[in-house]
Amino acid sequence: MSVAALLRDRKVRDVLAQVAVAAGLVALIVFFVRNASENMVKAGIASGFGFLWRDSGIEVPFQLTGYTASSSILGLLWVGIVNTLLVSVVSIVAATLLGFLIGVARLSRNPMLSGLAGAYVEFVRNIPLLFFVLIWYFGVVASLPAPRASIPLLDIAFLNNRGLTVPLPQEAAGFAYTLLVLLLGMAVQLALVALSRRRQARTGHALPLGWTALLLLLAAPLATLLWAVLGTAWDVPALRGFNYRGGFVLVPEFVALFAALSTYTAGFVAEIVRAGILAVPAGQVEAAKALGLRPGLALRLVVIPQALRVMVPPMTSQYLNVIKNSSFGAAIAYPDVVSLFMGSALNNTGQAIEIIAITLALYLSISLAVSGFMNWYNARIALVTR
Amino acid sequence: MKGRASAGLVPLGGGAAEIASDGRLTVLPVAEARRTPGPSSGRALVHALFGTPLDAAVTLAVAALLVWAAVPLLRWLVLDATFVGRTREDCTGTGACWVFVRARFGQFMYGFYPVAERWRVDAAGVGLVLTTALLAWPRLPGKRLLAGAALLLGPLLGIWLLAGGGPLRPVETREWGGLMLTVFLSVYAALIALPLGILLALGRQSRLPVIRLVATVFIEFWRGVPIIAVIFLASLLLPLILPNGAGIDRLARAVIGLGLCIAAYMAEAVRGGLQAVPAGQAEAASALGLGYWRLTGLVVLPQALRIALPAITNEFIALVKNTSLVLIVSIFDLLGIAQAALADPAWVGKTWEAYAFAGAIYWLICFGLSRWSLRVERAGPRRAGG
Repeated sequence: MSVAALLRDRKVRDVLAQVAVAAGLVALIVFFVRNASENMVKAGIASGFGFLWRDSGIEVPFQLTGYTASSSILGLLWVGIVNTLLVSVVSIVAATLLGFLIGVARLSRNPMLSGLAGAYVEFVRNIPLLFFVLIWYFGVVASLPAPRASIPLLDIAFLNNRGLTVPLPQEAAGFAYTLLVLLLGMAVQLALVALSRRRQARTGHALPLGWTALLLLLAAPLATLLWAVLGTAWDVPALRGFNYRGGFVLVPEFVALFAALSTYTAGFVAEIVRAGILAVPAGQVEAAKALGLRPGLALRLVVIPQALRVMVPPMTSQYLNVIKNSSFGAAIAYPDVVSLFMGSALNNTGQAIEIIAITLALYLSISLAVSGFMNWYNARIALVTR
Repeated sequence: MKGRASAGLVPLGGGAAEIASDGRLTVLPVAEARRTPGPSSGRALVHALFGTPLDAAVTLAVAALLVWAAVPLLRWLVLDATFVGRTREDCTGTGACWVFVRARFGQFMYGFYPVAERWRVDAAGVGLVLTTALLAWPRLPGKRLLAGAALLLGPLLGIWLLAGGGPLRPVETREWGGLMLTVFLSVYAALIALPLGILLALGRQSRLPVIRLVATVFIEFWRGVPIIAVIFLASLLLPLILPNGAGIDRLARAVIGLGLCIAAYMAEAVRGGLQAVPAGQAEAASALGLGYWRLTGLVVLPQALRIALPAITNEFIALVKNTSLVLIVSIFDLLGIAQAALADPAWVGKTWEAYAFAGAIYWLICFGLSRWSLRVERAGPRRAGG
């Protein structure tokens, strides 16, 4: 075969195209790496990950891990991770609750209510999140009263321009038990669901799963929580002189970032909830009724699974967004991963490449885990079409 | 739906939904939006508002909330506000001090761009508007040639106008700022993101495994990390990986970082469009003897881009919002200028005025774009060549 004929062969051309792309990419990476190592030698920047075990020497005003300025840089990274997850989880819970309310309100037949919800969604969606972070921090939290004139919340928590002071439990064991009871309840409930499926296939009768869920997932954990709350002594903040003593202080940066993230994300959650509810055609409910399903059963077997099919993937992605968006705290110096590690630690050590690689790897592993879950979920719920 | 779902593309109803980088949901292909018919007559409206005791209670509660929030807001914004004057002392009312915004209007628009050269920014702006109008004109004679020339030369001309050179006095990018910089970042990052995004989307759909892998890894990488980290990364790493001595402008780094990141999101928007084009189209083109590039360029892409236009617009809106993050690397776009204005000792305490003005501009831009996108979505994809 001549060379010209060979070049016209599809298989040969496929291989050639792929080799060309791969070679070009490798060449580009080699070029970047060589430049980087040359530049680093010239600038006298050290390389390697040894710096992680050095003393950080950085003070962090807000941390839960027992970190001090004499801890290692690895310890600093851990503070950042915990702070990122803390503000993300709290904001996700608040945004979901608020978003559900707004999403349902938007579908209300009352035009006043649906109009108000719609206005809220259009307001937050079309303004940068950074705007909200800055305005909550420099506008709202900064203009809160001084500690002596704090705004009391039920007389146990106090809001002022130095943050939110909340009571702190002396014993944390009870809360760990609550989590344990909840996890145990989930496991037992899952086992019961499997058992019930098998029994229904055999005898046509299902187990009373609703009641067991109520007991295992709600009543039992709540009872444990109540026991934990009442069983421990509380360190309630009290005004001493010019400031509050006792309790735990959530710094203004946390309060502002939490407020901005949850109110902003709620607007997006509301749209997802609305889409989920609208995605179930009315005919489905009518058909379920015609089949003789009771309303509760129709909701559980027909409406919710279809609404969830629509809602779960974008909702997961929205939660992932909250974790990524918590890095906006860097703009107001909330000590999260980006601001502590990519900011302070990088300034102190100058080891840009290592620090950036670690930070990106952290976020990527979270994203890939969520992505993996989504693919698994989509495959599980995908409509089987013939 | 062929292809695996990813964090960016999720099955929804009959088709798929694309989730923009800010979480905005776009349904693809155009799904029938089920709209609750609004009350048509006055009587129906009264019934909707006060039909049942519950409706009446909700209406009154919402109305009370509106009065409670809107009256003070209106008084602050307009009724008690000061519009005329020159200094802080002219603001004697209890309302907003718009004198502050008037005094700093030039900075809000142009940043620290030399006053004598500001006509160049205006000229570039007019050029941008004219180019956009040219591209939006459906039946312009010789459109393909003109559009190609405008897209190739326009951006270069714009940079020359703004940065100077030759007969024009050079203006360093650190003097740029305000709304002009927000528009600049959005347009130039989009000029990187859109072509790259199209290539990536095609790569991800390619039948060649190496190319598919490269595109997928690239997309998932940039989608997985926070944009704030990307801007940090671009400003720190770009000078490091380029040959020694090849300095790169701070603003250029931000544009490249934003462009690469948004390209990954654009790619998913375009992929949604590609998946919505029936496979028969490509098969028919192939049967006509078209090769891959002509088949893609003449048959598949025109249809896919038209379907994906709303999603692409949404990504552009997210991009406009995300440009505000350059504040982190001390580049002062519209929001950054508002933030910087607060430090002026002559105008202490004008936080709310500065944010309200910047926020209103962002909102007008993004809301306008989203309405336009909605119109395109409602109109539906037109027949190719029709």
